Order: sequence, then structure tokens, then C-alpha cells
Amino acid sequence: MNPFTGVGVGLRRPHLEKVAALDSTPVPFWEIAPENVVGQGGSRHRQVMKILERDPVITHGLSMSIGGFDAWDRDALANLKGFLKETRSPWHSEHLCWTSFGGATTHELLPMPFTRDAVRHTVERAKRVQAELPVPFLFENVSYYACLGAPEMSEKQFLEEVLEGADCGWLLDINNVYVNSRNHGFDPREWLEGMPLDRVQQMHIAGHAWFEAEQLIIDTHGAPVIDPVIELMQWVLPRIGRPVPVLLERDNEIPELDVLLAERASLQKAYDAALAPVLSGNHD
Amino acid sequence: MIESTEQALGPTWNLQRCMADLILDAGSAESFGGDPRAFGAGRGLQKADQEALEKFKSQLLVYRDLARTALEDPLPDCFPITHALLEQADLWEGCLDAFLASRTIQSPYYRDVNPSFVAWLANSIWGQERWPFLLELAHFEYIEVEILRWPDEAPAMDLKAAPAGDSQVVFDGATRNLAYHFRVHEATKQDPEPASGETFLLGYRDSEGDFIYSELSAHASAFLARCLEGAAVGKAASGLGLELDDVLDLLIGLREKGALLGFR
Ligand SMILES: [Fe+2]
Repeated sequence: MNPFTGVGVGLRRPHLEKVAALDSTPVPFWEIAPENVVGQGGSRHRQVMKILERDPVITHGLSMSIGGFDAWDRDALANLKGFLKETRSPWHSEHLCWTSFGGATTHELLPMPFTRDAVRHTVERAKRVQAELPVPFLFENVSYYACLGAPEMSEKQFLEEVLEGADCGWLLDINNVYVNSRNHGFDPREWLEGMPLDRVQQMHIAGHAWFEAEQLIIDTHGAPVIDPVIELMQWVLPRIGRPVPVLLERDNEIPELDVLLAERASLQKAYDAALAPVLSGNHD
Repeated sequence: MIESTEQALGPTWNLQRCMADLILDAGSAESFGGDPRAFGAGRGLQKADQEALEKFKSQLLVYRDLARTALEDPLPDCFPITHALLEQADLWEGCLDAFLASRTIQSPYYRDVNPSFVAWLANSIWGQERWPFLLELAHFEYIEVEILRWPDEAPAMDLKAAPAGDSQVVFDGATRNLAYHFRVHEATKQDPEPASGETFLLGYRDSEGDFIYSELSAHASAFLARCLEGAAVGKAASGLGLELDDVLDLLIGLREKGALLGFR
């Protein structure tokens, strides 16, 4: 059975000990950032490796700065390739953004200019990444709080042109679509309509927070997923028409494992309900 | 190792340079906040792009805060006492600003923010000017994290459990022989200023993988330093005028604690 379907969870440090001690996997799959695992050692690392050997895993990168200009650290790239083979990840994803400039890393997902020059540049960089990696490469749409420079196109058009130009898969972060729709005032369903949903290989779902002083929703991954985002996931899944894996992201205010698994279970119910008509249709 | 930055001067490069300056440079909150158009113009941006900076001024400044928030977790986690000390003096934010402005966070690995901070302190007035012990304190705090996650090695074969005069000591790769001018291991969050005093510590992982350290005499530290360089036990001891029996006892004790793998 294909393990890469249903709702998985990001593997997080506070849960390692409990998860490693389980006899079997409590989720269809985990997601993990290779940058946080390669080159590590010690007891916590051994717990991670035990889990990764036992359970299916999808990798998700944080720091390649694909929209940026800095050359890739060759050692880090070699480590990443080795890790992807070792974990048998079905693909590898990175954000459609930049994180470093002039050698300095911000560890922040910074917005791309929505311009033709940026499309051309990002497509070229994504093609080079794809040529290096031993697995297919997916771009993830990010939350953006500002346009960097005068836009020549919409975010939607930018994303579409990059995905088509690089001919790569799409990690559709449905929470990011929702956050952007609220911050920039558009209808998320209209936004999704006409997007190349056939490129979606995986989805992300997460919680966010409203910041009064900034008058912005920030993609904090620090709260449970809200109903409108779950409804958006349910709206898009039948339109994708395939049981693509959805990953619950939680990076801040991380709750106890039981609480997170309970949230996963309720998302799985919503996922199954949304796909039931499509999947039963396939059997007709 | 990072290859040299590609030279691709163009509109996207210019915009990213502008945003990197806004996020990382110390005075940018004021200069950008005061006049975003001039900030952009000074960095070669076209008029339309300058106007976009003006339009998204407050949202762009949010990214500056987010980059600081991104460091607010790893640094106090790794350096709780250094953080407490700077926080008590109301200097933590200034220190963070100076660290970011140094642009020395370059590794793609988030965990490398911690050693980058120590390396920056070593080259910055922050490491010594106000508190001469600050660099050493931060170094000792970082060493605990480094030891805890040092990559595991394949178990060494054919090691002897007991040392002799002609033995070579085989250390665990995570073991660190440390020397400080301050009693850094005695500092606490409540009392973060260590007293001055020559301090020799051996940091290592115990059998559970937990961090542990032993305080050493100056002689024992010098002896272990020679062993780490590969000297035979007897030669290392006689070179320092130490009794062989004493150093053998020391080595047996350290092996039982997990600092040494054995003898060859
Ligand atoms: Fe995401």
C-alpha cells in the first residue's frame, strides 16, 4: 500500500522519545527537514534514525534559498542527496522564496519579486536543483506579507509560471493560500481555480495567528488548524482528484504527542470525507 | 564551505540586496522606516520599486522582526546563562542586532547559528569588552550542545580496558579538553558572572549520552592534551614530571565514566 496518502505529521524534537519507543508508526508518514538530521549524533539522533528506519518519511528542505543568488554549499548538497536516498523519500520540497543573500543566511522565508526577471531566475535555479537531486523536486507556495518591489504580475501568475517553467511538482500549502487571501484580500477558491492542480504532489496544512499591531496574519505554525482552512482543504482535494498526502505542520507551541495525533485524526476524517465521492467514483 | 556568490546583478538581485540590508543591518529599522524610497534609491532601485517599498513599509519591517524571532529560540536554548546575563543588563537585543549585522550566520544548518554566535563573540567587542568572561561563558555553554550531538563513531575494535605505560589513549570523538580563565561551569542564570580563576574541564558524554564534565588539575589537563595529540601514556606523564601510577588511575576513572573508549 502506498504510505504517502492521508494525513501525516511533522516529526518534532519533543516527541522523539515517545515516538521512538512505539512498536509501530502512529501516522501514515512523517515529514522531516534533512538539515536538522544530517551530520548529527548522540542519543536524540539515534531516536530520529530509529524512527526514520521504521516509518515512511517525506523530506522538506528549509535553506536552499532557491529564489536567491548564493551558490549552494556542495557538502550540504552531497549530504542532502545521501539523506534522500537513505530515507527513500518519494520527493523533496523547498519553498518558493529566498533565505540568504551575499553568503548571509536569515533563516526566514523571504518573498520573491513578482516579476519576469525573478521567474526566469527562479526557473533556472530550480532546474539546476532538479538535475542534482535523486528524487523529484516540489516547490511550496509561501505566505508573503509584502510585495518585494513593484509587481509585474500577481503571486498566482508568478507561482504558475515558475511551476510550468521549471516543470516541477507543487507542494500546495493550503494554509499559506488562506493566509495570503486574508492578508492581501482575495478569494482563496478563486485563486485555486485555474491553478495547475495536476502538479500537486503533496499538501501542507497548519495553524496561524493574527497580529494586531502589524494587522497581519502570520504563518506561525503555532496553533491548531482553523475550520476555514480545513474546509479549503476539503474543497480542493476533490478538484485535485487524487489522495495526495497532506502534512500537518506544527513548529511552535508544540503540544503533547497525543494532542497532535488527535488533531491529525480529525483532519484525516475531514480528508476521507472530502475524497470519498472521488474515490468511490473511481470504483464505478 | 560556501562557493563565491554568483555575480548576477539585475533587478531581482538589487531587490534582494535591499531587503537583506533592511533585515540585517543595525540601523535599518530607522533609515528604512524613516524614508523607504531613499533607502531603495541608495541601493539602485527603480522608481516603481521605491514606491513599492513605501507602500509595503510596515509589512517589510515585519520581516526584520521575524528574522530576530527566528533566533530567539535557538540562542537562549543553547546559551541560557549568557542570555540571562545580557537580558538582566538590557543588552540582549543590542547583542542580537550586532550579531545579525555581522552577517556571520552563513551555514545552511540552523544548528550552526550557535557556533556562529561563539565565533562572532570571539571577534567582537561583545565577547570581552564589558565582561571579560563572556566569550568563555558562551563557549562552555555551546560545548555542552556540541558534545550532546557530536556524530557517533563506529565502535573501535581491539581496545584494552586497562592502560599501561606504552598505551595510547583512544578518546570518544565527543570528548573535549577545556581550559578557561574563569570558573564558567559555576555560573548560573541567577548568578551569571563567573569568578576568575584558571579552570580545566573535561567535557564528554556518559553511557546514556548525557553531557557531563570533570574538573581537572592543570597537570592532568596538560597530560590529557598530550594524550589527545597521540603521545604514549608513559611519555606524556614523564614529560610533565607526573607519576605513572597517578595518571593510570586518572585514565581508568575517565574510562569508567565514558570519556575514553579504551587503550591501544
Ligand atoms: Fe508549509
